[in-house]
Amino acid sequence: MIAGSNLEYVLSSGEFAVTGELGPPKNGDFDVVREKARILRGHVDAVNITDCQTAIVRMSSLAAGLIAMAEGVEPVMQMTCRDRNRIGMQSDILGAAALGIKNLLCLTGDHQKFGNHPHAKGVFDMDSIQLLGMVKDMRDGKRFQCGEVIKNYEPRLFLGAAANPFADPFEYRPVRLAKKVDAGASFIQTQIIYNVDKFARFMEMVRDLGLHEKVYILAGVTPPKSLGMARYMKKFVPGLDVTDDVIKRLQDASDQREEGINICVDIINRVREIPGVAGVHVMAIEWEEAVADIVSRAGLSARPEPRGIEPCLISSGTIEEVVSKAEEQIRAELEKQVDQARTEAAASRDLVTKEKEKAAGEISELKSQLDRLKDMADREEIKQKQLAEELAKTRAALEKARGVSEAGMVCKSIVEPQGVAAEAAPVSEIVSGEALSLREQRALQSINKGLEALRKILGLTEDQLEALKSFFEAEFLLHMGEGQPAAAASAVPEPPRVQIAEPVPELEEAVEPAAEEVAAAEAEEMSVEAAIEEEAPPAGVAEEPMPAGIPPCPPELSPDEWKRKWVVRLTARGNVLLHKREVQEAESAFRQALKIDPGYEKARTGLERAGKREAVPEVPEEKPASPEAEKEVAPAVEVEELPEAPVPESEAAPPEEKKPEAKRAASLAVEAEGVEISTLELAEEAATLMERAGSIPQDMIMEPASGVIQEVVIGDGEKALTVGGSSALPFHLFEGDMPNSPRIAYEILDMEPEEWPEPLMKYYSDVASDPVAWAKKCVEEYGAEAICMSLVSTDPNGVDRPAGEAARVAQSVVDGVDVPVILWGCGNADKDTETLREVTNLTGSKKVCIGPPTDVNYRTLGATAMAFQLPVVAATPIDVNLAKQLNILLENLGMSLNQILMDPSIGAAGYGLEYTYSVMERIRLAALTQQDDKLQVPFICNLGREVWKAKECRLPSDPLMGDQERRGIMMEAVTASTLLLAGGELMVMRHPKAVSLTESLIRGMM
Amino acid sequence: MIIAERKPMQEILGMTAGMKKVLVLGCRGCVAVCSAGGDKEVSILSSALRLGRKMSGEKIEVLEETYVRQCDPEYLEPLRESGKDYDAVISMACGVGVNFIADCCRGVRVLPGVNTTFYGANLSSGEWKEMCAGCGSCVLHLTGGLCPVARCAKSLSNGPCGGSVGGKCEINPDVPCVWQGIYDKLTYLRQEQNLREITPIRDWRPAGHGGPRRRIREDLLS
Ligand code: SF4
Ligand code: SF4
Repeated sequence: MIAGSNLEYVLSSGEFAVTGELGPPKNGDFDVVREKARILRGHVDAVNITDCQTAIVRMSSLAAGLIAMAEGVEPVMQMTCRDRNRIGMQSDILGAAALGIKNLLCLTGDHQKFGNHPHAKGVFDMDSIQLLGMVKDMRDGKRFQCGEVIKNYEPRLFLGAAANPFADPFEYRPVRLAKKVDAGASFIQTQIIYNVDKFARFMEMVRDLGLHEKVYILAGVTPPKSLGMARYMKKFVPGLDVTDDVIKRLQDASDQREEGINICVDIINRVREIPGVAGVHVMAIEWEEAVADIVSRAGLSARPEPRGIEPCLISSGTIEEVVSKAEEQIRAELEKQVDQARTEAAASRDLVTKEKEKAAGEISELKSQLDRLKDMADREEIKQKQLAEELAKTRAALEKARGVSEAGMVCKSIVEPQGVAAEAAPVSEIVSGEALSLREQRALQSINKGLEALRKILGLTEDQLEALKSFFEAEFLLHMGEGQPAAAASAVPEPPRVQIAEPVPELEEAVEPAAEEVAAAEAEEMSVEAAIEEEAPPAGVAEEPMPAGIPPCPPELSPDEWKRKWVVRLTARGNVLLHKREVQEAESAFRQALKIDPGYEKARTGLERAGKREAVPEVPEEKPASPEAEKEVAPAVEVEELPEAPVPESEAAPPEEKKPEAKRAASLAVEAEGVEISTLELAEEAATLMERAGSIPQDMIMEPASGVIQEVVIGDGEKALTVGGSSALPFHLFEGDMPNSPRIAYEILDMEPEEWPEPLMKYYSDVASDPVAWAKKCVEEYGAEAICMSLVSTDPNGVDRPAGEAARVAQSVVDGVDVPVILWGCGNADKDTETLREVTNLTGSKKVCIGPPTDVNYRTLGATAMAFQLPVVAATPIDVNLAKQLNILLENLGMSLNQILMDPSIGAAGYGLEYTYSVMERIRLAALTQQDDKLQVPFICNLGREVWKAKECRLPSDPLMGDQERRGIMMEAVTASTLLLAGGELMVMRHPKAVSLTESLIRGMM
Repeated sequence: MIIAERKPMQEILGMTAGMKKVLVLGCRGCVAVCSAGGDKEVSILSSALRLGRKMSGEKIEVLEETYVRQCDPEYLEPLRESGKDYDAVISMACGVGVNFIADCCRGVRVLPGVNTTFYGANLSSGEWKEMCAGCGSCVLHLTGGLCPVARCAKSLSNGPCGGSVGGKCEINPDVPCVWQGIYDKLTYLRQEQNLREITPIRDWRPAGHGGPRRRIREDLLS
């Protein structure tokens, strides 16, 4: 091994080598070199980096070579003698070697006369052969050209040279090649070969000199990109022998590029057969893409794994690799953490469930207690009745006795009232009749207080309370001093326990199962978040005493968990209270939560919200006294919604909309299960631009246009559409007028769509096989204002339906709906002409717009359109000048500009939309501000077909990309809105929901 | 022979702007032979100058003279004093003459009247061609008498470059490729061996890249 380069490895292994060529850019753009290197990578063993080829200043071959190397492509650095003397060259050679360059191709160089600096002084301190000798001597003799010793690190380079078998004197060429070999060349790359016979003769002479044994010869080939290029090379490039055969092949070819590649492959196949040819050098300068094709068609695509490339620059690829590795690591780490958090969350979810169960248990216990109490109350009532009866009896007896003996007034006041002992109030009076001791009064008072509390907690009605109250009072009086009430009181749940059950405060009729679930979910979410947010508790915390306000920690929980639970509960309670507008209570709940955990975000935001609520008393305080209000448990759903900004979303169309729209909305709602994209209404602008501009002079913010876009009428009769007419940039209503708002046409196909994804297809599956029904559905159900029918079935490369047949279908669609119909050809110029002519013959001048004429068939299509006075869609491939040119051509034909809709060929979001946008914008600016009247034509944007073929619309729903339908709708709507902003006047779309979204945008902007 | 050609009239009028009295000084050496600066050309330039000035409404006094040579000091002797009478002396000799006047005649302002172009031969009446570049180390013995230094666009030493086609140089089909000539000549002379041998890298010092050149012949020094 001389230098250990990949090229050297490949050649010395006997493998048929392939080298490529990379012309550095005429600027300092790193990426150009990188891109070219990437295109060539893997298809060639090494790539020549030219040294200011044809004497045009370009990025230096050394620098570009390093960039290529960083991309994993081995460079063959070219060096010419034109621009540097021996000092400069040796210096560069040392530098190249230091930076890892291992191949050097030594050239004399084209004369400066050919380049962009013909006034330069050509250096030519030496010629290519002397250069080879100099570098070889630096390498093998370790000497500079002057003789001085290179002490160490002599440049190890694999040296090559060029040979031109087609230059004169022909007989001398092998001799000169021999000189190069003697001087130090290890490989030779030849001039571009087209004349293989002559090259074969050259090789014969080379073999006669035995050179094929001493040097690897790589045959140079170049695919002619076009006939023009071949002719130019033949005529103007000295020393290039382009044969007449090559010219003829290109002349006869329908696709010159394709033929160019074929020619190149043929030549490779032929030169491979010539003994002594060790490889090919494929020079596809500024056509690097062709190399892969050529190499693979020549059967050379299996390149040996590159060796010996030691880049000193780090390519972005390598960086990406490192970054992605690091990313992976981090991701793994994160996933671990998330898993952990998830387990913790699951654990706490379990806990919550347990809690819930426990609470439910408690509730049912409470219920049974209540039942028992009620039971008891009933029993007591009976007892009271009995007592009353007894009393009555006694009174009767007494009465009797009094009647007999007129004895004292025992118990007069006891029996005096209506005599209904079951009533509670009279009982108090009974009590008051007798002097109660202070202790007894207090006891009674506290019973009443307890009852009041119980009522609040249990949500009892007044009646129930009254019953209870009377029962207790009766009990109290009857068993005064006997310790009985204590037994009854013990049936009342103790306040702390009730409080624990508080987050789930439902009882009997107050319970709303849904609300309960959501509340639980809320609690769960909070606890999960708490679990994730908080670090694992330090070991010592367990011993910490509980802060004030928290009941003692139950044994199955750690103090920290208990605390956290409390914070979550308090916050949840705060949220519920807040929603019930019990602001103060809510605040105190939040405060309490914050006291326990000052860092708990939810509690803090809750507190902030509570503060705001209070400041804005927009709703009168509800009176919680009424039983109904008490029963109403706040739907916890709303608690969840609170943190989000309210979204003005409504499933149904706004009431003021026209009838078909409402109908459509309804049918959309039915059909699109699971996808909630509905008609949006944009917020009205609070102040106009002029108001907001304030004192800024108008001419600073306004740029009124001087041109006006043509108005084009599509269709006839009542439903005719007028588009265009604007005298301002799209929606710049403050600058000018936009008399006709942009319109949307529904696209239908004249055959069952083959590749429409399901989320789109489901809207049309019932009508897809019948274009008439399809069009009708669009109009009647979705309220389409226009139909764009794509005549895809006529495509000669597809179904190839005869023109006449397609025309009849088109006619029935045109007749079947009352809105304008745009007939869109299949894109094959000849077939379109034929089909559309047939159609117009059938439909006459009826509400049809045809297209697209291209620069190929504009004459015939234009003539057809003119005959029937139909508007046309003029399609050109995204280019201002081409669009203008086609308009001019159509106008020259006799069409008027108000019969033309421009189709600039648009791309979907992510598929060239930005380019479309800029072209459309430029067209519109030229039309409006530069009075370019040939461009003052409305745009039609056939975007549905672009959007729905994008893979983003075809991939199924998944967690990462989300719902497929929603995705597709958004793609279409976003594309449409962008095109609207670029000036689009007529949109051709597919998905009814995307249409609906786009329409609401238009409405909002107009 | 040194080949020269008269500078464009405009340039000469420009460099003499405002001058009242000039001397147009010819040379009967190379420049006279190549019809650039002999007696005839001196009078032509003088008339042109006068005419030019007249047209712009200015006056100028133009005197004419032609020396045998301007590159030997004895011929320049009279000019040392008389030259001072003029606003400028327009020398129509090659660059050597102009330099030499400037060197020898202090106080005399000298201007070039011609562009000195190359060392060439007179192919036919009115056509001259470069033959030698005065490179200081002649290789003509190796190249069949044809100079690759002066006559090859890239001064190649080891045979024709890849642009040589049909005997023409790559830079222009009107220019013959000297290496085709050398090849033909050497083949004819049966000296093909010269074409096989590698000519080593040149030492460019004798060609002037080592600084201004000087030649000394001890025996003739006085
Ligand atoms: S080799 Fe040098 S000296 Fe000889 S003719 Fe050429 S330029 Fe003149
Ligand atoms: S074509 Fe001939 S004369 Fe011209 S540069 Fe090449 S070798 Fe020299």
